[in-house]
Parts: sequence; C-alpha cells; structure tokens
Amino acid sequence: MKILVAVKQVAALDEDFEIRADGRGIDPDFLIRDLNEWDDFSLEEAVKIKEASATPVEVVAVSVGSEEVDESLRKCLAKGADRAVRVWDEAIEGSDSIAIARILAAVAKREAPQMLFAGVQSSDQSFASTGIAAAALLGWPHAAVVTQLTYSPEAKTAVLRRELEGGLLHEVEIQCPAVLTIQLGINTPRYASLRSIKQAAAKPIEVLSLTDVALGAADVGETGSLSRVRRMYVPDKGRAQLIAGDAAQQAVRLADIIREFKGTAA
Amino acid sequence: MSRTDAVTRILFEAFGAAEVRLFYVLGYTAIAVFCYGVYVQIRKYRRGAALTLEGGLWSRGGAMLVSVLNGRTVARRDRGAGAAHRLIFYGFMLLFAGTATITLEYDILEPLFGIRFWYGKFYLVFSLVLDVAGVALIIGLVFMMYRRGWMRLPKLDYARPDRVPGDPDFNRPQYRREDWAFLWLLLIIAVTGYVLEAARLVWLQDRAEVWDTRWWSPVGAVVAEGLRAVGLGQQGGAVLRHGLWWFHGLIALALIALIPRTKVKHIFTAAASLMVRDPLAAQRLPLIPKSQAEAGAAKITDFNWKQLLNLDACTKCGRCHEACPARAVGAPLSPRDVILSLREFAQATLESGAVPAAAELDIHGKAPGQVAMETLWSCRTCMACVEICPVAVEHVPIIVQMRRKLVEDGAMDPLLTKTLQTIHKTGNSFGESKRKRGSWSKALPFPVKDARKEPVDVLWFVGDYASFDPRNQKVSQVFASLLREAGVDFGILYDGESNAGNDVRRVGEEGLYEVLATANVGALASAKFKSVVTTDPHSFNTIRNEYPDFGGKYQIEHYTTLLRQLFAQDRLRVTHPLKYRVTFHDPCHLGRFNKGYDAPRDLLALLGCELIEMGRCKANSFCCGAGGGRIWVPDPVGSEKPAQNRIKEAAAIPGLEVYVVSCPKDLTMFEDALKTTGNEGKFVVKELIELIREAIPVQRAEAVPA
Repeated sequence: MKILVAVKQVAALDEDFEIRADGRGIDPDFLIRDLNEWDDFSLEEAVKIKEASATPVEVVAVSVGSEEVDESLRKCLAKGADRAVRVWDEAIEGSDSIAIARILAAVAKREAPQMLFAGVQSSDQSFASTGIAAAALLGWPHAAVVTQLTYSPEAKTAVLRRELEGGLLHEVEIQCPAVLTIQLGINTPRYASLRSIKQAAAKPIEVLSLTDVALGAADVGETGSLSRVRRMYVPDKGRAQLIAGDAAQQAVRLADIIREFKGTAA
Repeated sequence: MSRTDAVTRILFEAFGAAEVRLFYVLGYTAIAVFCYGVYVQIRKYRRGAALTLEGGLWSRGGAMLVSVLNGRTVARRDRGAGAAHRLIFYGFMLLFAGTATITLEYDILEPLFGIRFWYGKFYLVFSLVLDVAGVALIIGLVFMMYRRGWMRLPKLDYARPDRVPGDPDFNRPQYRREDWAFLWLLLIIAVTGYVLEAARLVWLQDRAEVWDTRWWSPVGAVVAEGLRAVGLGQQGGAVLRHGLWWFHGLIALALIALIPRTKVKHIFTAAASLMVRDPLAAQRLPLIPKSQAEAGAAKITDFNWKQLLNLDACTKCGRCHEACPARAVGAPLSPRDVILSLREFAQATLESGAVPAAAELDIHGKAPGQVAMETLWSCRTCMACVEICPVAVEHVPIIVQMRRKLVEDGAMDPLLTKTLQTIHKTGNSFGESKRKRGSWSKALPFPVKDARKEPVDVLWFVGDYASFDPRNQKVSQVFASLLREAGVDFGILYDGESNAGNDVRRVGEEGLYEVLATANVGALASAKFKSVVTTDPHSFNTIRNEYPDFGGKYQIEHYTTLLRQLFAQDRLRVTHPLKYRVTFHDPCHLGRFNKGYDAPRDLLALLGCELIEMGRCKANSFCCGAGGGRIWVPDPVGSEKPAQNRIKEAAAIPGLEVYVVSCPKDLTMFEDALKTTGNEGKFVVKELIELIREAIPVQRAEAVPA
C-alpha cells in the first residue's frame, strides 16, 4: 500500500527583490525557498495514516524541480516519508500547473499508489489546479480542500470532509485510488529537527528524467502548457496617504474621505 | 606491663570469647553489606553512558578536598547550616578516624607486627580530641534538628510544584522520615558514646590508670560524676557499660551497613560528584557523540555515569529549589525535584541484577520518577541551580539533554516550533531577511565597516535582538557611536552573521545549533580582526565557551569590559556625571555564566551613579525569564513572570531612578515588566550603554539621531 504525496518547493520574496531581466519572474537571488506550507499538512496526513496502520504503508514524496528541491524533499524524508522522487529535465522550465500535473500523473502511473495527496495550492503561484489536473489526467476521482480524512489503507473508499464557502462542509465518500488536495489545519505537522533532516540525507532521493516517466520534451515546458506568463511586475503605488495635522484635523479629513467614497461628498 | 602502657582504651575487657567472636561476625557482616551496597551503586552508575573526563585526577581530587574540608559550598546562602555541617563533618570525621585508628592497631598492626601506639600520652590526647569532637557533633546535630523541626524553611518543604496533592510522589514523606532517622541515629550514637564512656569510668573507678586520667575525657568524666551522684555503683557501671557497649556498637554497625542505601551515602557521592565537577557545565553544553544515533536523553541509561552519580549526590538541601526563577513564579519546575525524580527512577530500574527492557527505562512522562515535558520546558537554563548546588549537581545539561529528545519528537510549544523553523530559514529569530541584519547601522551618520571586506581591530558580533529589535537597535546605534568616538576600529559581519545559537542550543535543537555555530565560525573565518566584542551576553557565552568545540577560538569580551578599558585609557571621558540612584541586574549569561560582575559596576561608578544592590545580585541574580529559548514562548497568562518578580524586587529600593541592564533581552523583558507591574513612571529601565551616552553627551556633528 502506497501513498504518493506531491510537494513543491515554493519561493518567498526577500526584502528589496528585483525582477528578472526578461521581466517574467524574480531574480532567484532574492528568493527564499521552503517547502510549500500546504504540503506540510498533506505529508503529515500521509505519515499519520502510515503510523496508524497495522499493515505496511509506504509514503513517497514526489516533486518536480532541479537539485535545489532536494532540500525540501529531505525535510519530507525527515518527517517520515520513506522515499522521495524528483523529476527534472531542462525542458520542464516554463511549465504551468497543467504541465506539472502531467509529470505528476506520469509518476503516479509508475508508482501506482492508492492515494495521491497534494496541497490545495502553492503559496507562491496559487494556481490551486495541479492536484486536480493530475486527477483529470489519471482519470481518478478527486476531492479538493479536504479538512478531515477517514481512510484505512487497503480500503476501497475513503470518507472525507471538504470545506465550502460560507462555513458549509461536504462529507464525501470517494473511490480509491483518488487524488485529494489537502487544506491547512487538517492536522498539526510535526517538527523536523535539523538532526533528523541531516539523517534523512541517508534516505534515497530518486531522480527521474522525462524518459523515465515516459514523457517527451513536448509534453512539458511552454509547449506542454496551456498558459504562459507574459510579464511580472509591481503595480503602481496604491492610493495610501498619510493624513497630516493634529487629531482634530485628521478626523475632519478622514470624515471627508469616507464621504467621498460613499459618494455623499458635499 | 608498664604503667603508661596500661593507660589505654578499654575494648573487650570482661567480654567472653564467644561474645567477642559474635562482635567480629557482626562487624564483618556490616562491612560485607556495606561493600555489596557500594557494588550495587557503582554497577548502577556504570550502566550509564560512557564519559571521558578532562583534567587530571590529582587536580580534581585537590579541588574536591578543598571544597569538602572548607565546607564553603554548604555555607553559601545558609550560614547556619554551613556552621552546623562543619561541626558534624569534623566531629564525625574525627570520631571515625579515632575508631579506625583503634581498629588499625588492635586488628592489624599489633597482631601482625606487634606494633602498639594506642596508649599513654597519645591515647590521652586522642581521647580529649574525640571528646571535643563528640560535643561538636552533638551541637551540629541538635542545630540541624532545630532547623528542620522549627525553622520551617521553604526550601526544606518537599512539596513539589510539578505535582498536585494526592499524587503518590507529591511531597514524599519518606524523605522526611529518612532525614530525621539520620539525625537521630547519629545523635544516639554520639550520646550513647558518652554514657558508655562514663559507665566504664564508674565501673573501673578503682583502677588508677583509668580513673586518674578521666579528665582527659572531660565529657565522659562529668557524666560519670553525674552517674555516681545518682547512685550508680561499680557493679551497676559494669552492667550499664556492657549493655550500652552492644547498643552503641550495633547502631554504629547498622549505620555503616546502611550507608550505600540511605542519604548517608552523600559522604561518598557528594565528594565524588565534587571531584568530577565540570566548571563549565551550563556554559558549554555537551556535543552529541558521533556514535550516538538518537539525540538527547530518552532513557535513564542515556545519562552518563557522572550524571547518574550527580543524582545520588543530591542531599535535598533545597538551595536550587529556592534559587530557581521558574519555581519562584509557580511554574511546574523545581530543579531539586527533577534530580530526585530521576534518582528514584534510577534506583527503581538500575539497582537490580539485570537492566529492564528499554521500554521501562523511559524517563519522559508523568508517572513517579518520570519528568513531564511541561517541567522541562519551564527551565530558563539560567544556571542558578548549578551555581548554588553545594555538591556539584549539574541540572542544566540534564534538562537540556532531555529537551533534545522532546525536540526530536516535536513535543514543544507550536510557537517554539515556528521560531526554530524561522531561525533555520532566515538565520534569525525575527524572521527578517538576512540582508536586513545590518540595516540598523544605516541611521548612523558614518558607515560601519564590513569586517568581511576590510580588516578591523574589533569585530562586533551584534546578535539577533541588537540587530532587529527596534528598541535595541537604538542601543546598538549608541554603542557604535561610542566606539567611533573612542577611535576603535571596528566592523560587523552584516548578513554574514547568523543567530549565535546560544538559546537554540539551550532549547535542545542541537542540529540547528550545529548549523548556526558552523555558519558563524565560517563567517568569522572570512573576516580579519584581532578580537570580538558583543553587546549580547547570550552570544558572548556561546562564542566564548562553545564555539571552540566547532573550531572557533577567539579573544572575545562583553562590551562592558571593552568600555571600561576605553575609559581607563582615557579614550572615553565622563563629561556630565550622573547622580542617579540605580540598581543593576546581572544578566545570567554575563554574570553567573561568565563571572562578569565587576565591569558593569565599575562603569556605573565611573558615571557617578549611586548603586544600590538588590538582594538577589551577582551569582544569585534572578533570571529575567528569557533564557533557554523562553523568550520565544510567552509565559502563561495570569501567573507572575520572572521579570515581574524581579521588577517588584527593584521597586522596593527607595528612590530608585534607573534599573540598569546590560543585555538586549533584559531590556525587552524588563521594559515590559515595568509596565505590567504598574511601575512605569516610578523608575526607568535603561541599557548601561544609554547611561554612558548620557554621561558623555554628543557634541559633534555626527550625533546619533534620537
């Protein structure tokens, strides 16, 4: 019994970042990389299932990216993943979420897990589509924004709760294998001590090429994508303004502004 | 037989051969029971992890002897107990030596070599000395009984802050019974010794060599006169002597047999513990041995033999219990109870023939003998317990090693988890960008050198709080300008610097500490400098005491010693003496950890301040509560915080104007506590650096913007 957990190494902006010369991204020097927050929860959910199971469960973390992604994969290994798989090829550069999903689906076919977990979204790109697209490509049932999961390994179905708008919940029974995108707060992710991360270096990270997962260069990158980033930019300054003067003057000005917005300006 | 020869101790006179034989059988039995007990104890210690001690046996033995003989560690913060302990110690030692000397002659030297010395003048002088020793012992014991029974000292109350009434190990009445039994047993031995001596005198009053020399045993002689006065005759004296001889002898033998199993063993364990003392126990925490797969202490056998010995050295004197800031504010921690719990655990598991299975050796939890995680996380690693322990128990490394296990299991406050992740990601606990580490210096009218790019005399290791906390940034700016005005060629590492790791290590995240220490040692290696200075005592401690284990050996000082030197060299001069009435809070990591008590006080004197010490100062300084990573975890709402407790102490000083600190974390903690205790407006909290600035107002154009 196997659970595949798709994880992503996300980038956060450092202070005073600069846009790349081609204008389509951030200069990598100004990015701080870390495991996507949502993936912390989906990995934890998989590890919890493994720990609660009487029969052996293998948790495999999979990611798409260059060598630097190994750092995040090692974190997953430290937190309890048994194996890690990383797919990379220069041609993958420029892939959108659908192309990434194609790669993940290909890995899923190769690994044949009973469950594929992904985070609801990534904190840097926020497509919220990778997991679901992988389900479509695999032809598996899927559930998004899962906040509670009852699943015992080898079971044919899983029961889960999904978060909807307006405080509503869906309780869903789903056929396995399935793709679930996991929401924050479903559990409390454990702490991976630096020591355990270091020791996880002894666990294998399997690096796969496109041929290993039976894909071609045309399936990925910009050619394999349905969308393409044209430009990344910082919008013009907002309309925030500092109101000068003493408290009384500030109050008068503030009241004027409110009236202005309500359209009741005198 | 000459007459002087006859002046000697009456041993077995009037005893039948069978009786003497019986005594020897009992004596050897007692010794055998003692030896077996010692074997069991040593076997217990050897079941701990291996440890190789630094330093020679002789110097360790010498230091131990000095401590044991002068009894100073017992007298600290309790002069009465110290004096009484000295009386008991010397009384007991002399009496023991006396008895041992008799055995030496009677059972070894005379039968084997025919040598006798236990007669005549030597005997008389010895008997006088022993009589005096007995008086000392009795006075000491009676005072200790008074102290236990009537002084109601809180530190002798065994009620635990980490248990509730009703728990099986809440206040451990068996300890109290043992304490009293020990005192009574010794007292009975001493008193019966005198009565026995007197009875012998009455019995042998006809024998000139006994009776005429009786005043060499003055106490015995007085008691003998008393016995005669109440009508005890020679015959009665003989009977009384015979009965008491056995009574006294049997209790003494029982005491010997029981030594390894009772608190009496502290005679040996305390001495041994003092001998293996690590003077840097809390300052330099142990590395995890390369061979060790699991970090930290999960099982009792994960402690090394020295730590197991430490547990047995504890005499429950309560000095650590009294000094602990966590205990003082009602947190579920008493260092004494951590030690006693683990000791009970070791006794229950490691004294039997075979070591139980690993599952039964788990020291984490809430069962008797186990230590709860709430207890371990309450510790601020302020070292007050280690510093005051009279028998060199080293609590802090024990607690941190147990925390290492909790960190591996992720058993900690979510805020702490978050902070550790933040430090790993950004290299600082504020979650700020590395690039911003030197940003505070942008407000200065002069550039601060980047020590990685150009050589400097003094490298300033700034630390997290002084770099990122807005209030402390102001202090950093002042310090920078003072250095510049004094003509010190200094620089900083900018984004090359990471959190020094002192508190990360004390949290128990050893892996992260290794990363930070290695990164900083690397950054320092990339810079050219002569010495290091820091305004942060936490960074100071770890760089000074712990970085050498990571290959980083530097000449480092806290800013107080550097500034004192600059004043001494006339490179800084007080132009506007301050007349403030101040008190000074010794930061744990500067004071207790590194004995930096004098420099800040000298500076305050230079500034013209009137220093009024708080009751708890210098070695007994009371932790602000921020140590050991606790600055990242708020104290529970509704309970007093250590910093508030401390501010209240300062507030009791009449006319106090400034509460002076010399640590960035102290500034944060105490400014907060000043407000929350309602003392705002009565006095202010200031960094010593700020007072110095006040005494040397800026006149030049390069004034620091306020």
